Amino acid sequence: MIRFATKSGGNTPGHLQRTGPGREALAGLALVALPVAMLLMLTLWPTVSMVIATFTVDGHMSTSRYAYFFTDAYSLANLRFTMVQGLVSALSALAISFGIALYLRFSAGRIATMIHALSLFPLFVPSIIISYALVRFLGPNGLFQLLLEQVGFTHYRTPYLTPVGPFLAFVWEALPLPVLVISAGLTQVSDHAVEAARDLGAGPIRILWEVLLPQVRRSLLIAFALIFLGIIGAYTVPYMLGPAAPEMMGVFMQRTLGNLHDADAAQVQAVVLMVISSVVGGFYIATMLKSQGGER
Amino acid sequence: MKRTPIGGLLILGTMALAMIGPILTVILWAFAVKWRYPHILPTEWGIKFWFGMLGRETIITPVLTSLALTSIATTAAAAICWPAAYAFARLKFPGRQVMLFSFIAAQAVPKFALFVSIAVIFLRLNLVGSFWGVVLVQMLSAVLYMIWIPTAAFRGIPPALEEAAFDLGASRLRVFLQITLPQALPALAASYVLAFVSILFEVDGALLIGAPTVTTMPLLLMSLSAQVIVQEAAVLCVMIWVPCFILLLLTRRFMTAKGIAQGFGA
Repeated sequence: MIRFATKSGGNTPGHLQRTGPGREALAGLALVALPVAMLLMLTLWPTVSMVIATFTVDGHMSTSRYAYFFTDAYSLANLRFTMVQGLVSALSALAISFGIALYLRFSAGRIATMIHALSLFPLFVPSIIISYALVRFLGPNGLFQLLLEQVGFTHYRTPYLTPVGPFLAFVWEALPLPVLVISAGLTQVSDHAVEAARDLGAGPIRILWEVLLPQVRRSLLIAFALIFLGIIGAYTVPYMLGPAAPEMMGVFMQRTLGNLHDADAAQVQAVVLMVISSVVGGFYIATMLKSQGGER
Repeated sequence: MKRTPIGGLLILGTMALAMIGPILTVILWAFAVKWRYPHILPTEWGIKFWFGMLGRETIITPVLTSLALTSIATTAAAAICWPAAYAFARLKFPGRQVMLFSFIAAQAVPKFALFVSIAVIFLRLNLVGSFWGVVLVQMLSAVLYMIWIPTAAFRGIPPALEEAAFDLGASRLRVFLQITLPQALPALAASYVLAFVSILFEVDGALLIGAPTVTTMPLLLMSLSAQVIVQEAAVLCVMIWVPCFILLLLTRRFMTAKGIAQGFGA
């Protein structure tokens, strides 16, 4: 965790303190001015201006654009598809990561090391590369189908261009973060605690639920929020692997803005997505602030 | 609770197939001249397609555009973010916590929706379809790496050494250049590499702001991947990704639970 506040001057070297608080504050503000300005200009300003634009029709305040979105069956289907895809993919990624982390916690040796390394591999693979690779691997007559046919299975139906395609890519990409945070949390549970629980008659499920899970609950929640936000805002994966309809919101927005040149509708779609994200995002920020408070 | 190695081997096998299988397919395609169904390996190997692509302007131009764009955006982001990271780590000024936190909060905004809002503003400013418009949005993607990793790195340097040098009469600039900077350098380099690679493969901003006039390498890859000839997209993938993979491996130290998970606030 990056700590935001250091105890009064705790980390400031003496020679910097000697400059006096006024000059230090000025120097600090000057140094951070540019990136902060960039963040304001490219995040806050566009967002605020977009929200205002979506509520303005011919110079008057109006909610008619939103009324259209929320009565249009196709828009709603896309929104629903995006949410379900995000929820199912994020939860699956967490479940798989938890399994991997559990295995890693209670094993050692070369196999565990290799499993750990494999689960971190997506950190080194950009979205566009894995999307294309999955098309070639899972697509019709792809390597996966060829391998299955080698062992006699001939009824393979490709997930490419179905909702399962993006699901697999999202889970693939999401693995490293939860494996890392859950593993880190689980190493804090000592073997003694697990043995003590077992001596007291707790079964594996109870140990999992009452000893191991509480250690990583906060990590799980933060990982879920980040993965879910990443998925519902994604473009490349659903564009390369997903079905033509329904579309995920990223693809929907791109088509609306880039192909149909309907900036008004695209902005409404973007605001709807931002509002939904802000619920999850707000929760993520609150969890982080809480942990900040706990650390100080 | 130790499991039998058979369970472990089963997990390892499944993981290897799932994690390496897709990339391996692309690498095989890149070196395949013919790969006919139902053979599990290419029936004819070679690098014929590599030479065929290197001379073509439609391939070379997007790659050069991407390299120029990525170098400029990453360097510019470093120039404004690294000094800020030093300030966040070492100086006290009003609003420091709020400002540092806003960089983390910006992560919770769905990127594609944000780019839609930027695209609408850039349309008015005539920046859509311009090289510099893409540079601007891609700098935004770099900020994540360029603020967090360096801030943590500057914080991790014990102040005692700097104070000692200062007490011995070194100037503030000399202390920074000879004591602080060398210690922070690995982390700064790692943040540069991470930002560089993430911008090089960035799709969303390049597509919404750059298309159709500015074609970057990932956009080229997208259009090649729809082609009948499989090899060209595969060759491009291998050609660009493998060097990046090696570069990223060098930053592995900063991709640990501490670096990533804690950077994300978990």
